[in-house]
Amino acid sequence: MILYLARRFAGVAGVLFAISAITFTIFYVLPSDPAAAACGKSCSPERLELVRHYMGLDQPVWRQFGDFLTGIFSGRTLGEGPHALHCGFPCFGYSYENSVPVWDLLMDRLPVSVSLAVGASALWLLLGLGAGVTAALRKDTLVDRTLMVGAVAAASMPVYFTSVMLIYGVIRIAGLLPYPTYTDFTADPLDWASNLILPWLALALLYAAMYARQSRSSMIEAMAEPYIRTARAKGMPERTVIVKHGLRSGMTPILTLFGMDLGGLLAGAVITESIFGLPGVGRLFYDGLVRSDQPVILGVTLLAAFFIVIANLVVDLLYALVDPRVRY
Amino acid sequence: MATLTVPDRVPPPEPAPKAAPGAAPGYGPWRLAWRQLSRRPAARFGLVVVALLVVMAAGAPLLSALGGWSPTEFDQTAVDPYLGGLPLGALGGIGPDHWLGVEPVTGRDLFARVVNGAQVSLLISLSATAVVVLAGTATGIAAGYFGGRTDAVLSRLMDLTMSFPSLIFMIAMMSVAQDVNRIFLMTAIIGVFGWPGIARVVRGETLSVKHREYVEAARVGGSGAWRILGREILPNVSGPIIAYTTLLIPGMISTEAALSYLGVGVRPPTPSWGQMIADSVAFYETDPMYFIIPSLFLFLAVLAFTLLGDALRDILDPRGGRR
Amino acid sequence: MTKRTQLALSTALLASLTLGLAGCSDDAKGSRSGKGKNPAAANEGQVVGGTPVKGGTLTVLSNQDFSHLDPARNWTMPNMDMGIRLLYRTLTTFKSEPGKAGSEIVPDLATDLGTPTEGGKVWTFTLKKGLKYEDGTPITAKDVKYNVERSFSPDLTGGPDYAAQYLADTKGYQGPLTGKHLSSIETPDDLTIVFKLKRPVADFASTATLPTFSPVPQAQEKGAQYDARPFSSGPYKVESYDRGKKLVLVRNTNWDAATDTVRKAYPDRFVFVQGLKGGQVDDRVIASAGGDASTIEWSNMRPESAPKVLPKADVKGRLIAESSGCTGMLQLNTSKAPFNDPKVREAMQYAVDKASLLTASGGPALNDIATAYLPPALTGAKQADTLKIAPAGDVAKAKDLLKAAGKDGGFGATFTVSTGDKTRGEAIQQGLSRVGVAVTINTVDPSAYYESIGDIKSAPDMVMAGWCPDYPSGSTFLPFVFDGRTIRDKGNQGNYSQFRDDAVMKRMDEIAAMSDAAKANQAWIDLDAQIMAKSPAVPLMLERKPLLVGTNIAGAFGHPVWSGQLDYAAIGLKDPSKSQG
Repeated sequence: MILYLARRFAGVAGVLFAISAITFTIFYVLPSDPAAAACGKSCSPERLELVRHYMGLDQPVWRQFGDFLTGIFSGRTLGEGPHALHCGFPCFGYSYENSVPVWDLLMDRLPVSVSLAVGASALWLLLGLGAGVTAALRKDTLVDRTLMVGAVAAASMPVYFTSVMLIYGVIRIAGLLPYPTYTDFTADPLDWASNLILPWLALALLYAAMYARQSRSSMIEAMAEPYIRTARAKGMPERTVIVKHGLRSGMTPILTLFGMDLGGLLAGAVITESIFGLPGVGRLFYDGLVRSDQPVILGVTLLAAFFIVIANLVVDLLYALVDPRVRY
Repeated sequence: MATLTVPDRVPPPEPAPKAAPGAAPGYGPWRLAWRQLSRRPAARFGLVVVALLVVMAAGAPLLSALGGWSPTEFDQTAVDPYLGGLPLGALGGIGPDHWLGVEPVTGRDLFARVVNGAQVSLLISLSATAVVVLAGTATGIAAGYFGGRTDAVLSRLMDLTMSFPSLIFMIAMMSVAQDVNRIFLMTAIIGVFGWPGIARVVRGETLSVKHREYVEAARVGGSGAWRILGREILPNVSGPIIAYTTLLIPGMISTEAALSYLGVGVRPPTPSWGQMIADSVAFYETDPMYFIIPSLFLFLAVLAFTLLGDALRDILDPRGGRR
Repeated sequence: MTKRTQLALSTALLASLTLGLAGCSDDAKGSRSGKGKNPAAANEGQVVGGTPVKGGTLTVLSNQDFSHLDPARNWTMPNMDMGIRLLYRTLTTFKSEPGKAGSEIVPDLATDLGTPTEGGKVWTFTLKKGLKYEDGTPITAKDVKYNVERSFSPDLTGGPDYAAQYLADTKGYQGPLTGKHLSSIETPDDLTIVFKLKRPVADFASTATLPTFSPVPQAQEKGAQYDARPFSSGPYKVESYDRGKKLVLVRNTNWDAATDTVRKAYPDRFVFVQGLKGGQVDDRVIASAGGDASTIEWSNMRPESAPKVLPKADVKGRLIAESSGCTGMLQLNTSKAPFNDPKVREAMQYAVDKASLLTASGGPALNDIATAYLPPALTGAKQADTLKIAPAGDVAKAKDLLKAAGKDGGFGATFTVSTGDKTRGEAIQQGLSRVGVAVTINTVDPSAYYESIGDIKSAPDMVMAGWCPDYPSGSTFLPFVFDGRTIRDKGNQGNYSQFRDDAVMKRMDEIAAMSDAAKANQAWIDLDAQIMAKSPAVPLMLERKPLLVGTNIAGAFGHPVWSGQLDYAAIGLKDPSKSQG
């Protein structure tokens, strides 16, 4: 187990290293000059050179990458002389557009994206698994068909369509909620929830539909396994059979799926955050793109990769707990 | 099932519905599949809609000529310039002149744009799917059949690709790339991030058939690795591949739409569904038809391919989502 | 200033198209809204909502963060207005009045508009007595000098570069943190500041309205971090600033209204809520429900909201659509075929369909067709029209010109637009296709837009760009757009046509040296016509800035100098008790 963990952590580090190297190279190769963007209007060539030097863009790419990596572990000083900036551990670069280290920006925006992802995922697990398991246990009945038709339809609706319809119906027509403006959970939990309920719903509907389909099929499959028959034959109550055996093995594929989805969302749902005007990591990323703020783009990409990789790791470890067949 | 050997296993995003009962003997497998398919109403609906959409996309120039408008032609007489370019007439200007109404501001014909948009959207999603399937099948078979170091390397590569925050990466790449054919670029970028899903499916399938008797027999009979791969393995894993491919398409259509929606998609004045929806979102209240029409087409396309894929998977891949 | 940042932020997702001007006589078919009368411009030159009452919280709804608040870096329009009116004072500033009166310069920190000596090569300003920062310390002439010096720092990018252009002996200067100071600015005592210029500058008093000429005490220097918390010399100070989310300004109790003739400072607090969706901002201000009655818009109303606004008298009455004072242009790349031929360029003047373009930009209600480069504010309220072309163009004449140039077979041209300008690009594309020019549009994300069109090696054949004068003088317009000496290999800005014409450049120098402002003004207008004849660019449209205000807002008007942005010096609430927060 320890050996396995060590190997997995080494793997995580390797993947993150590869992703940052690739991202770095791509942005270096592609034609975009952050120095010119920062320098502004009628920037003289001499000044552009100064800015480029100041931002460290006159260094070879491997050097820039090396500095970046060192910065993550030990912090670094950017620039030199009187204009030097200190970017403390963990330094994920410095956003010259915002005059703030990228790490601070990420940490500032993360609560929004986490709120969105966690709330939405709770909602979709509830809706999706509920619908899926119900449909599986009532296989080939009207309930099953209705639920599955609904799920296919919901899964086919693009999230921006659902979002716009929710905004239109709930806010514009019914006037039930104000336009969302993000409030911190710590400031006012009720306000926090009421501002997030629509984004949660929009995301949750899409995912719930997919989870309903997936959980239905894996539940049906699990219920057909020989050990279920054995359990029933032993005279175990149906309820216990379903909960203890059916759900347990039927939910394993869901766990994997959930890990991936949650990991992907934690670093920002770009479209949802944009539509609802939520100042999360996805929004930060998009603003970074618009302003050619490469350190921010790189930072968000790495954060997103980090979440995905970690989610995978956690899921694999959880497997051992959930699925009786998996042992390390 | 592969958890013990490949710890970071990740399933494809699209879930697998339940398997159907196995086939009765006496018919060829393809004919059997067709018969089963035509017996399911949902699959029939999917098939019909897919066929219609494909015909519509293929005949787009013809259809828009029939409607009398090219997709890029402005019609200033159909909009009211003093009201932010809102279409004149009810329902977004639907009438004998413009069958599905017009785009606000420019007055371009929505029917012409929707059918030409179908062409672009389907072209991108189908060719991206082709890229994904080819690359995924090749790597999956190689990893599954050769095993050992090849498998280790390819599986690492799959893990790495899957760890990329793909949408974020696609947006970033599309937004900085210029002076290239956007359709080609989108196909390539969507393809690059899509292949590991199918590769895993194929790898799993290959692992399960590679020790079957007929494969062993061929090997003992002195067939080379490539021959075995092509003659024995590929035909036997093609069922799941086809099913999985159909289920990939809706995701591809959605991805194309999402990229265009985010403003990093096709180049104007080319229409695509995602681009049309993105432009129309702002008008959802003042010109709802403009928003609803492309959304409806996108919804129908995704729905139809999903239903068809579901049915195909039930028929061709009876073991469903177990990999 | 250029539209650089405005455009850079206007993407398909984030922002609106920049809208345009009105009063247009072109009556497109199907108009229901009364001929000749512009429905959007009713409030032009008017104050909406009457005189405000002191107190309350005024909320500004925005879809974006500020580009920069640091006065050494603030050079984009809504930000400049907001910074100068609320956070820092400058040597001179513009009157807080709607219409033409707003472009009049008045002293601010200084006691008068400055004293030129040596024929305008040396300018002396004297500061008022008793001026204080937010912590009560006195504002000195040294602090103004210090901020001008800061604008040379390589880490403080983005600000106006007039100091670098005008001041003598600045070569190689890299800001005050290097320990060096500029010898061309002298502060003989705490209240006197003397600027020594390279050449005579007749309108230096106007230059001194820029945020570069506001005080920053050396003790408050935080380098690039200063951006997040500028030290206030104005009526408000920063209480909290959560970048991209919210900025809260509260009264600066050390600001003395007796020393300030311009800023009225009605509300007790200003709250800027950022990162909202553009369409939602429109909807909220239109509805003006509850606390939203005390809100105003930061960015333009979106064109698609026009149908929710223009037909309703009560909402329309809250729309301010002051002319932005900018000219949108189609710049033709004169460095290579086909647009190295003046005949072909002239043909483009006739081929462009400005009527379609107008509709694509929000319609004649919100735009006006441009017939010259210099915007009307610089040419006595009316633009010159030397070519007299119909709004939809003159296809026959264009074809004749192309024939004369041997291009009657048509040709292809590349055209780069930023994503937010896509529809406008398509309108140009469609117009030029009428004379056989096949335009390939390349949409570029706003982040990459200026880099991609600013690299002269890979520059496209055509770009759409705008220029807004920094203050009403031709010297802040034509030299930035048509002076061949400003062309740069990379990061080229303004002169996207790469237009290099010796006669034009010579004339620009002559006009810049004129000490008589009125004469110089006429000379700029004449030069405008001279450049039009050479057609390095096609003037497209004059833009308006449509902004909605809530029902509880008073004292709102678009300031003519700051591209029609609401003047934050005079805005306030009708009933402060109704505001929230």
